[in-house]
Amino acid sequence: MKLMGKDITTAKVMAFVGDRLAARGLFAPAPSDLTPEGVAARVDPLSYNVQALEENADATRGLPLETHRDGLAGRAVVLAKQLFRKAGQVFINEALGRQGVFNGHVRDSYAQLSAEVIKLRQRVAELEQQKVVAAPPVPLPAPVLAKPLPPPPPAPKQPVAAKAPAKAAPVAKKPTRPVPAPPSAPRPPPRNSRRGK
Amino acid sequence: MGQAAVAWQRVLRHLGHNGELYADEVAPAWRSLVRPASELKPAADDFVLYHHGIASPLASRLLHLPCRKGLVFHNVTPARFYEGTRLAGPLIAGRAQLAAMADFVDVSIGVSQFNARELEVAGHRHVKVVPLFVEPERFVGACADGRMNSRLSGAGRPRVVSVSRVVPHKRMEDLIALHEELRRIAPRAELWVVGGYAPGNAAFKALQRRADAVGGVTFLGRVSHAELVAAYRSADVFVSMSEHEGFGVPLVEAMAADLPVIAFGAAAVPETMGGRGIVFDEKHFAALAELVHLVSHDAELRSTLIEGQRQRVAELSFEATRDALRDALPVSVGEGTTTRTRRRVALVVQRYGEHITGGAESLARQVVQHLAPHADVEVLTTCAVDHLTWANELPAGTSRDGDLTVHRYPVRRPRRMREFNRLSDALFNKPLDFVTETHWLAEQGPFAPGLFDAISARAADFDAFLFFTYLYAPTAWGVPMVAKKAIVIPTAHDEAPLAFGALKDVFECPRVLLTNTPEEAELIASRFPKVVRQREVGVGIEPLEGQPQRFREHFGLTTPYLLYVGRMEAGKGVDELLRRHQALVRQFHDAPALVLAGSGDLKPTGTRVIYVGRIDEEAKWDALTGALAVVVPSRYESLSLLTLEAFAVGTPVIGNAASDVVRGQLERSGAGLPFVLEDDASFGEAVRRVGDERDMLSAAGKKFAKKYRWDAVVRAYLEEIDLIRRQS
Repeated sequence: MKLMGKDITTAKVMAFVGDRLAARGLFAPAPSDLTPEGVAARVDPLSYNVQALEENADATRGLPLETHRDGLAGRAVVLAKQLFRKAGQVFINEALGRQGVFNGHVRDSYAQLSAEVIKLRQRVAELEQQKVVAAPPVPLPAPVLAKPLPPPPPAPKQPVAAKAPAKAAPVAKKPTRPVPAPPSAPRPPPRNSRRGK
Repeated sequence: MGQAAVAWQRVLRHLGHNGELYADEVAPAWRSLVRPASELKPAADDFVLYHHGIASPLASRLLHLPCRKGLVFHNVTPARFYEGTRLAGPLIAGRAQLAAMADFVDVSIGVSQFNARELEVAGHRHVKVVPLFVEPERFVGACADGRMNSRLSGAGRPRVVSVSRVVPHKRMEDLIALHEELRRIAPRAELWVVGGYAPGNAAFKALQRRADAVGGVTFLGRVSHAELVAAYRSADVFVSMSEHEGFGVPLVEAMAADLPVIAFGAAAVPETMGGRGIVFDEKHFAALAELVHLVSHDAELRSTLIEGQRQRVAELSFEATRDALRDALPVSVGEGTTTRTRRRVALVVQRYGEHITGGAESLARQVVQHLAPHADVEVLTTCAVDHLTWANELPAGTSRDGDLTVHRYPVRRPRRMREFNRLSDALFNKPLDFVTETHWLAEQGPFAPGLFDAISARAADFDAFLFFTYLYAPTAWGVPMVAKKAIVIPTAHDEAPLAFGALKDVFECPRVLLTNTPEEAELIASRFPKVVRQREVGVGIEPLEGQPQRFREHFGLTTPYLLYVGRMEAGKGVDELLRRHQALVRQFHDAPALVLAGSGDLKPTGTRVIYVGRIDEEAKWDALTGALAVVVPSRYESLSLLTLEAFAVGTPVIGNAASDVVRGQLERSGAGLPFVLEDDASFGEAVRRVGDERDMLSAAGKKFAKKYRWDAVVRAYLEEIDLIRRQS
């Protein structure tokens, strides 16, 4: 264990604590290095939303059964919810059929649009990179001497950017959770699936 | 986050920005302070600052708002603490939204370096750090709730307090484990947990069973600010076992309450502590118990820790937050400097007009009319006439009042008296809470958005802003926006809102306060120790030549009479005055009549009571000149104009002794007599003495009133305006 604090002598405090523990027949904590907690990783919104839409598109599938009650009352509540779902599932399916179809369209539309966004971002990054590489040299300051400058070197036969195409910059960092990659091309709407009808 | 939003709004006002709070869901009771997000329709040059946490539909809306945008990030609890629960999804979604907003905001603000790093990892580019602030004066012993103090005073020692909601990542079970170890070496140790919890929740019940087995644990639940201060001030040590904090406001609050802090160094905690207090990295409960015991009992160590913590609190000041936010925002407004030769002055007042009843409003109009020959004066006011409803009775827009330009702005919503009275009852009878006080101020109103926009947008147009009356929203929220040019005429008297922390900006940030009496200045200084410079200016009195016979004939008066002129309201003491007078009439067959003039809810009746309704200026001076004495029954006065007007025409005054201001005026002048408003004998004695000593009192009154001249008042105002011009 390690302590931090400008206003204390940490070694002295830890020694005091150690002595007190030893007097009670307890072991003092071993010294350790304080390692600051790292920041949370980025959650890629496009991938996350595709995954979340996929997971939640079926409106007939219930959320996990929960209760804040404990003990017998809690079990009774969960049981009652289970029974309600079993008894009512056929009606739930009937009532939410069109919602499932709609959710499927939303999911597919989002997947297609997000794929387009990723593709466009990549293209923008490529163009930006080309612009940087093909940028004209910084102009020299105006001559102050009468002596003529040497002639400029011959121009390259091909643009520099064409010789060494820029490597596309990564668009999105790796998401925190494994998520299915969005389709690279627009996916045709499923014709025979229940959701896609 | 609600508290933080109110605090940020205050900081923004100090930077000259006028803005409103919007939220996804707003309970009807809070609609005066916070508007539903569905009503947010920003213009292209507006700036929206969005507070982000857990997933919210507002984040998606923000992407499409056609204006400049900023993000304030208080952090999102990592979903690992809530795996398998319904909360995990929204927590991850909140982080996905955070990344999605990166390319759509002009500035991203983390309330700590830790949060700023998370913003950068999420892809945000223009990232700034604006730390939160804690005001130590709100955590002094005087702010503590007496009942909570008494409740906690008998507890055993050492006393450990922890402040947070009872939720998984706060690790309350670790606190109880530490407490169990502490009880081994200090069997009377106490642990107080302050913060909301769900009593029926299975996890909480398990926690409580464990706490009951250990003993000495009290879940105090949600508490008021005063109760929170009492808990901090009654404890020996503050301990945090939380495993994730984006900032950790309670750590700093405890420091502000001079309570040594021991905290687990999770996330932003070490940064918030700033090297003060004690941070630990491992939950070795036996060792921590010894540490808590040491800090509780070692006076020298406590003193050193508290001194260091005070420095940390001073670093996290309101001024530090304000300056950091000024640097962070991509928008700015300036109060500007002036090179004009003629003075330009704005009057900000809640109501304005010839027929507006109200001492402060009347004074405001008289002041600017006298200033008009020396300055270009514009009046910024509302369309309201009635100060109870704030109904928009006058047309909005620009009009003229003699040489003055008057801009009227509509009030957005009438005052809801039930909600206002409920809040008043709650606040006037117990210690106070900043957010609730701000809510009270919003209910008090009048809230005219255009008026605040005008103050903010036209800050550079004027050399000075005169704000009349401390008690209303235009002054309370307008002053910080133009603090360097603000001259406040508080017209304050001894009443409950004068203790509100939400009103302290009125007294602590303008250029100068122009008070009416020495008693008013003394009262303000006693409530706000950091008050700015005060100058007693008062008013001018210009009596008309009264013709008492004209008044007597008009109203059929044949006997001597006492006179009251003012609002017919119980709050002015009119009902008590009527009771005293009727007692006098029953006792003496030659008791003088009581003439009452003015409008209001009360309709005075009684034997020898003559109610003449509202009278014009000429009739007023006629009445004043012919009265045996003028009666001032009101307890709440910052300056009794009626008293000075009566003195000016040589009429003595009988005034409420409970009002420091009125009593002071009577004592300094020697031209009147105080009486106890609730006592028949006291009132009778005062009337008798006035009859006996009228000539002497009259002469003293005339002499005293000569000091109240408009030329002296105008000179004082111009000196203060010119001082601002020179210093701008």
